[in-house]
Amino acid sequence: MKVVVLVNAVPDTAATPEIAPDGRSVLTEQLEFVLDPYDEYAVEEAVRLKESLGAEVIAVSIGGDVARKALRCAFAMGVESGVLVRLPGGMELTGRGRSFCLLPTLRELSPDLILAGKQTVDSDDAQVPERVAELLDFVHASAVSQLTIGEGARLLVNREIEGGHLVIDLPLPAVVTTEKGINIPRYPALPQVLKAKSKPLHEVAPPLDVDLTAGWQVESVTLQHTARKQQIFSGDIITGVQQLAELLRQDA
Amino acid sequence: MNFALNEEQTEIRDSIIRFARQELSVSADEANGFPHAAWRKCAEMQLMALPFPEEYGGCGADFLTTVVATQAFGYACKDAGLVHAVCTQILCGMQINSFGSEELKHRYLPSLVRGEKIFAQAITEAGSGSDALGMRTRAELAEGGYLLNGTKIFITNGPVADVVLVFAVTNPEVSRISGISCLVVEKGMSGFTQCAPMAKMGLDTLQNGELVFADCPVPAENLVGSAGQGAILFNESMEWERCLLPAAHLGTLERIFETSVAYAKGRSAFGQPISKFQAVSSKIVEMKMALELGRLMLYKVATTKDQHKRAALEASIVKLYISEALKKTCLDAVQIHGGYGYMKEYEVERDLRDSIAATIYSGTSEMQQNIISRFIGL
Ligand SMILES: Cc1cc2nc3c(=O)[nH]c(=O)nc-3n(C[C@H](O)[C@H](O)[C@H](O)COP(=O)(O)OP(=O)(O)OC[C@H]3O[C@@H](n4cnc5c(N)ncnc54)[C@H](O)[C@@H]3O)c2cc1C
Repeated sequence: MKVVVLVNAVPDTAATPEIAPDGRSVLTEQLEFVLDPYDEYAVEEAVRLKESLGAEVIAVSIGGDVARKALRCAFAMGVESGVLVRLPGGMELTGRGRSFCLLPTLRELSPDLILAGKQTVDSDDAQVPERVAELLDFVHASAVSQLTIGEGARLLVNREIEGGHLVIDLPLPAVVTTEKGINIPRYPALPQVLKAKSKPLHEVAPPLDVDLTAGWQVESVTLQHTARKQQIFSGDIITGVQQLAELLRQDA
Repeated sequence: MNFALNEEQTEIRDSIIRFARQELSVSADEANGFPHAAWRKCAEMQLMALPFPEEYGGCGADFLTTVVATQAFGYACKDAGLVHAVCTQILCGMQINSFGSEELKHRYLPSLVRGEKIFAQAITEAGSGSDALGMRTRAELAEGGYLLNGTKIFITNGPVADVVLVFAVTNPEVSRISGISCLVVEKGMSGFTQCAPMAKMGLDTLQNGELVFADCPVPAENLVGSAGQGAILFNESMEWERCLLPAAHLGTLERIFETSVAYAKGRSAFGQPISKFQAVSSKIVEMKMALELGRLMLYKVATTKDQHKRAALEASIVKLYISEALKKTCLDAVQIHGGYGYMKEYEVERDLRDSIAATIYSGTSEMQQNIISRFIGL
């Protein structure tokens, strides 16, 4: 069984972003990048398939050095090799462009299963895995919270839906995106971090035969400043505490 | 000269920071006794395995990488007692790995790197601290090995240790430099008593106590290195120790620096952020300089040790400079935080209490000055 896991690096959520002078992008030089937390679930799931079924697991990403970092995080977690579709510096892609960029690599790898996070945490995009499924003509299930390999190249997945669960039986090859809770991603122990360096990372150029331009552009980016709601309870302490408890019960 | 860390070192650093922030977030003051759960997590992370050969379960990292990792650990883990306990474990392992027989290495290193056994090193006695080689604990030749008698004090990990590297006088007839040896003593050996932890000013989770040896028989094969090699072993080990503990301190210093910057920018008085007052900003400038200067010297010592060269002078400079800088940084951080700094909630008071010990253990500041002046030829 061959599993491809799509990974992406995102700014650490603890970081405070700054808007670039053009007002249309975020300054990335100062930001720490980490493997997208949703992708971490996908990587963990893939590594578990490697451990339980001996699946071959390959991580794939698009971008520059930041994307390389995402791949190395995946290596540290147990993925054995990776492919980076190296974009020329400064080139930004939309979900459509990214999917087209991935296509030749994915066709060549010809996996049985493609795993990815259900969305990116930075821009909340949830396009690439779905578009890829469509382009490859694979079946697809999104936001999966449990995954089991069934008999005869089939897959059983669990999706949490409003007020219940949905169990879906899919044929392979398939694209599955992972939801929080599907597993607890491991911390790579330090020897794995050290070994990540020597794992094969193959770089390829984006395809030339498709128009990767977006067809749209970002007009502006602004940061949201949330003002804190303040309320002071005056009067005696007993009533104050009662009012506070009431407020917590109602609003919190 | 290239002052940048390599990709591997930055990744190790980032992994440790992430691990410590997310997994070791408990307040150190809440912990009761030795932090066994956190210790196990550090062991699973294989922090204690870093500088050891892979054949004993180690990671095979060089000393500089171990120093960078320790710095990250001191930066992200607020429990300085735990950090110190882990450093002690690594330092015990380095002594066994560099001086121990193949048999001792196979017997102890695998359980040391996995954190399954807790290690301690015992040099200090009630009557001899700075004058370490003036120790009185005696290991007399006896059938099959030695008979150990004496008492050690302040021993880190002592109350909880499974294995202790004990320094003792094996030959009182010769000079102090050649009359001391290092022996491995295990918990449960007859005549070996581990006393209760002593109450301290800071480093709350660190367990320090007395170890008593009363006619404790130690087999000859438990000798680390050869008989009379104790002082050489001690001197070499001090070079590692005076690099590894300051690495953790420098990490802590960096965290306190960042905390102070954030507080000074966010706190206003007289209609402006307190960071705009020069009396405040100059304290932070001092912190930043200590951080940058300390780091250069720290990495120099670590690199020198990786080249298998002596670095006694440089290690003493690093130890003295960083431990004093940490103490001053903590004191200034409390001052910058004003009344809040004195309150436990803001945590800087704990760092201050923890930092005081840094200028005492591993050779006091005064002793480092003596060493440095001796090297200058004064
Ligand atoms: C938290 C902590 C952990 C420790 N862990 C360990 C451990 O794991 N193993 C271990 O063996 N020991 C350990 N120690 C002991 C530590 O190494 C000693 O406390 C230290 O070396 C000082 O010795 P002392 O306490 O006997 O002080 P003393 O040597 O009595 O010194 C008292 C004062 O006199 C000064 N002084 C002494 N001689 C001179 C001199 N020649 N010139 C100028 N000033 C001088 C000292 O600087 C100091 O200010 C630990 C101590 C602490 C606080």
